[in-house]
Amino acid sequence: MLETEELKKVFKGKIAVEGANLYLDKGESVGLLGPNGAGKSTTISMISTLLKPSSGDVRLYGKSVIKNPGKMRQVLGVVPQEIALYGELTAYENLKFFGRIYGLSGKDLEISIQRVLELVGLVDRQKEIVKTYSGGMKRRVNIAAAMMHEPEVIIMDEPTVGIDPQSRSHILEMVRQLNQEKGLTVLYTSHYMEEVERLCDRVYVMDHGRIIASGTKEELKSILSSEETVWMELDRPYPEFFKELQSFDGIRQAAEIGKGINFIVPKGSRVLGNLFQAAERHRAQIVNVTVQTPTLEDVFLHLTGRKLRD
Amino acid sequence: MKSVFSLQWQRFRRTPAMVLSFFAMTILFVAMMAGNNPAERAPVLTYADGSMTEQQAAEWVELLNAKEEFSFQLVKEAEARKAVSSGDATLALYMMEADYRLVLAADDMSRFVLEAFLDRTYREELRLRQMESQTADAGFRERVATVMKEPALRVETSTLEGTDLFQYDNQLQLLFGMSLFFSVYTIMFSLTKIVEEKKYGTWNRLILSPLGKWEIYLGHLTYSFVIGFAQIVLVFLLFRYVFGFNLGDRFAAMLLITACYTFAIVALSMIIMGLVSRPQQLQAIVPILATGMAMIGGAFWPIEIVRNPFLLAVSKILPITYGLDALKGVAIYNRSWQELAEPISIMLLFGVVCMGIGINLMERRSYQ
Repeated sequence: MLETEELKKVFKGKIAVEGANLYLDKGESVGLLGPNGAGKSTTISMISTLLKPSSGDVRLYGKSVIKNPGKMRQVLGVVPQEIALYGELTAYENLKFFGRIYGLSGKDLEISIQRVLELVGLVDRQKEIVKTYSGGMKRRVNIAAAMMHEPEVIIMDEPTVGIDPQSRSHILEMVRQLNQEKGLTVLYTSHYMEEVERLCDRVYVMDHGRIIASGTKEELKSILSSEETVWMELDRPYPEFFKELQSFDGIRQAAEIGKGINFIVPKGSRVLGNLFQAAERHRAQIVNVTVQTPTLEDVFLHLTGRKLRD
Repeated sequence: MKSVFSLQWQRFRRTPAMVLSFFAMTILFVAMMAGNNPAERAPVLTYADGSMTEQQAAEWVELLNAKEEFSFQLVKEAEARKAVSSGDATLALYMMEADYRLVLAADDMSRFVLEAFLDRTYREELRLRQMESQTADAGFRERVATVMKEPALRVETSTLEGTDLFQYDNQLQLLFGMSLFFSVYTIMFSLTKIVEEKKYGTWNRLILSPLGKWEIYLGHLTYSFVIGFAQIVLVFLLFRYVFGFNLGDRFAAMLLITACYTFAIVALSMIIMGLVSRPQQLQAIVPILATGMAMIGGAFWPIEIVRNPFLLAVSKILPITYGLDALKGVAIYNRSWQELAEPISIMLLFGVVCMGIGINLMERRSYQ
């Protein structure tokens, strides 16, 4: 349905995105993962026709949208990272305006407003001024505004940034419903790994302006299938023990997180025995040890050498 | 375009403070500095010679006040002399049957203006009285008044440059100057909404909609134009009908000039919007630009008194200079359409050029 070919964007001599190739099939939910500054927003700005690529192409049903963005804009809904609403107006007035600019009027406009308000759970508070809303409610209206014209594809650029867990959960459930029950095609960018794991069928991982991996969640995790993630919780931090642990053969990507240590070892490795001995030498008291299969977060760490929210 | 235009009105209704404050400030400044009614013309304490009857004195005062240049107030001699000697009044008028004297405590520049006025008025009246006494015609004065409506001889004065002799009307200078000055704020701050929309992301929503970009710009520009134009026109109407300012009888010409000026300022604002990236920058730029233009363009004082060639040269590229020139040309000098064509054309040309540059700058910033 939608694909990009070797998308590249250069800002004042600096490459923001290079060689981005991705595709979305109809009804799919695809995640675009990457830390801040990875090039996600630039990529989706080019896909949504807001930004002209320096080179490359974006195709909708096989036809380029660079020169003729009109077709793309008809079927596309964009939920921007910022709250793109008129704060001094009510949610109802905002939605009415965004409906009108898509040519809706009269009864159709009213039906659309109530439909999206129901979707985001704000029917009862539609007449309140947006700037008096909580962060979560603003985010929900932000999504509703992009849904007014019933788009086929929706691009969501970190739609849950800075909101409380309850609102976040509500939004994620809403996106899941839109995708699975209404067949909406979703391109979801986030640096919250758990959101992408929960919502997306396939994932593209971006870093430094390039797509460095892609596939289904299982395919990505299989990159680390021969490895296991170990979480070792201690009674307090032991810097010397951590230093020695890093020197052990087979231990990779060790990271001190609070009182514990996270690291990757080859599957079936016997290194754990040696670790217990080392802990005893440093008089480090082990509270808990968990061995788990890799998460997407581990995959990301493996691919980029840094954590998503670094 | 209509939906973007309506949206701006909807937003204005929710937050009208900014526009209303500039409207109120225009009224306040003009009313305070120019006086709000004819009763506030310079007062002149007046007393009559003992040989004159009360009716004669009252007739003279009525005649002097009829010219609407000063406000002559008939008082007792002692009261007038006390006011002058105590410094409460700079001068007083001592009326005699066919002559007058000025009572001064100190030499004052205003006495020359008053003296010229009295000299002219006394001379005309005494001449009429003399002729009236030599004719038996009871309707002599009415006949003279009728004839003077279409005089046999007219004297027109012009300078070597062919322009009007400078006439200063404090009320109109302030009214036009302040109205055009404060409208710059209203227009530029209302267009700030474009920069805000770009910052907060609503602009992208508009771009992604089926609306053409020209419709989005036109919606914003039309709103700014209408609100700036309405502000100026409402102030004019208010001072004409409520405060009694004499704006002449060519209001249609003034509307056209105001429209051209507003268009030029809207276009200039587009350049400013194209140069800034954050609304906060405008908080600094707009007051500097508006005040600078007003000072150099002659909004605060008549440009005719400026002699610095550099400032005069700069004033030639400012729309406010041409706006004021044309408005004064209509209200004070009663210039013909032919004479008004130059400032009007320059404002339109300025508007078209600035609009082109402004939109270009904005587009370069937004679609790279």
